[in-house]
Amino acid sequence: MNNITGKTWLFGDDINTDLIYPQICYTLPEREKPLHAMEANRPGWASMVKNGDILVAGRNFGTGSSRPAADNLRKLGISCILAETVNGLFLRNAVNTGIPALAVHGIRDVLKEGDIITVDFRNSIVRYGDKTLSFKPLPSFLMDIIENGGIINVLKAKGLLGEPL
Amino acid sequence: MNIIEKILFNHSVEPVKTISPGDIATVNVDRAIIVDMAALHPEFVDNPPLKPFDPDKISLVFDHYVPAPSIEIANRVNRLRKLVSRWGIRDFYDTGRGGISHVLGGELGWFRPGSLVANTDSHTVATGAFNTLGRGLGTPELMNIIATGKTWFIVGETVKVKFSNRMRKGSSAKDVFFNLASITGDIPGKNVEFAGSGIKSMGMDERSSISTMCAELSAEFAVFPFDGILKEYMENAGVSRYKAVEPDNDAAYADEVEIDMASVEPMVAMPDRIINNIKPVSELGRVNIDVAVVGSCANGRLSDIRDVAEVLRGKKIDRNVRLTVTPASRKIYEEANRLGYINTIVEANGLVTNPTCGACLGGHMGVVADDDTVISSTTRNFRGRMGSSKAHIYLGSARTVAISALNGYIKGDLNE
Ligand code: SF4
Repeated sequence: MNNITGKTWLFGDDINTDLIYPQICYTLPEREKPLHAMEANRPGWASMVKNGDILVAGRNFGTGSSRPAADNLRKLGISCILAETVNGLFLRNAVNTGIPALAVHGIRDVLKEGDIITVDFRNSIVRYGDKTLSFKPLPSFLMDIIENGGIINVLKAKGLLGEPL
Repeated sequence: MNIIEKILFNHSVEPVKTISPGDIATVNVDRAIIVDMAALHPEFVDNPPLKPFDPDKISLVFDHYVPAPSIEIANRVNRLRKLVSRWGIRDFYDTGRGGISHVLGGELGWFRPGSLVANTDSHTVATGAFNTLGRGLGTPELMNIIATGKTWFIVGETVKVKFSNRMRKGSSAKDVFFNLASITGDIPGKNVEFAGSGIKSMGMDERSSISTMCAELSAEFAVFPFDGILKEYMENAGVSRYKAVEPDNDAAYADEVEIDMASVEPMVAMPDRIINNIKPVSELGRVNIDVAVVGSCANGRLSDIRDVAEVLRGKKIDRNVRLTVTPASRKIYEEANRLGYINTIVEANGLVTNPTCGACLGGHMGVVADDDTVISSTTRNFRGRMGSSKAHIYLGSARTVAISALNGYIKGDLNE
């Protein structure tokens, strides 16, 4: 995977799925869903996100339900999620919708919001200013799913999906 | 290997020598459960898997929206019903038949000791009470499992939690969990394995309550050992073919936590989250409530409904409180009815609903309003979880909810 460079948005600890994807999203038209991301904790944020931005958070990012929270972030244009720790279910959902979610120890405390950073996948490091932090890379089969744009694309390509219900 | 590693080992697609933290386990899944929420995922209803890896290992359970609360949802779940004939699924539980998947699956023997279960709902970790590994997964990922019968896990480290002694009357499994949560905090990527002599004093309801709530720690799995109580439960469920799993003598754990259950007192999670947000009720001060809810996969079980009925028998709830009680399954509902619990709650001015997730997810059956203060035995109190994001949601045991409903403010009691 190529490097991702983007402008950062900073969030705190325990950002949960219900903040990222509020209950009402379930029955909204697809294009409206992402605009409700974080409306309870950070009203107005969703409309400020630009394509390619990077979300940086504290501990336990994405804790909560199996709802497609990562989809909301991807559709807003978030290119990558970096957090001190990432909830396991959220990590899977991020990979399966085609965005990397990485645990990067120390990341939350070294950045200011709006800093431009680069996630270098080949070397497994995040570059900020002239400094770096390293991270444990995702297994290569997960990076493959991300590069294919998510698991649905993979299933389609394999001919495993059928007619609408 | 510990229990978790061993179950993954037993399900490994490729033969491996051992399983330890950091490994990636590719595993066969014994059962995949789809709940009605899948109907709200366009990718699922628009392009469902062509055919399942084994229709007898697929369950379809309607639980979150039972009965459908809007035309939109009624239409969407109707599309899901078409799966039953298209795939030839036997295990379909429509409204009125089943209950919340994490409870129903135990009742029906889907959670066989030593087995591995995948479900579209995040509280699938509930299966751990049955010595079963269960993981909640996103709907797209479950589609992959339905099509292939396989999935993967990045194996995490395991925290061993040892229970000793037994709970005092008046405290409950939810309080034991809160105690655990206040010790461990969040543990994303890690597992919990329970041990210790205290387990034998807990029935399947109590164990299930604790394993279910471990979703809130961000745990991957939270598994109980196999013992006589589980054996008897499986016998009564008519299940005899399974391979229970015990830890090896040299099993490795990252950490060990001891909980003396006799020292656990009633506790609550303060609004908005559980992690780093637990308080003993005795230190809470006076918090008046508007709404009291008993229900959910964690604490809408028969023992919870019994606790509520015991507290409310012959009394009326506070005139300012709205109490909703939602049994977690039809079986629980029938039993509670037979034992007179439902009548007792109705006579106390409580509202008893049909089995569903209901108020727990803020979808229907008791959506809460701006500025409502809520005490609930459900699983989560994220802001906005049960309706308005301006509501204040406290979580407690079913008993604490009932005592609070009587008094009009949050109260737990070791003697009541
Ligand atoms: S009761 Fe609540 S936590 Fe349990 S499955 Fe239903 S919505 Fe999820």
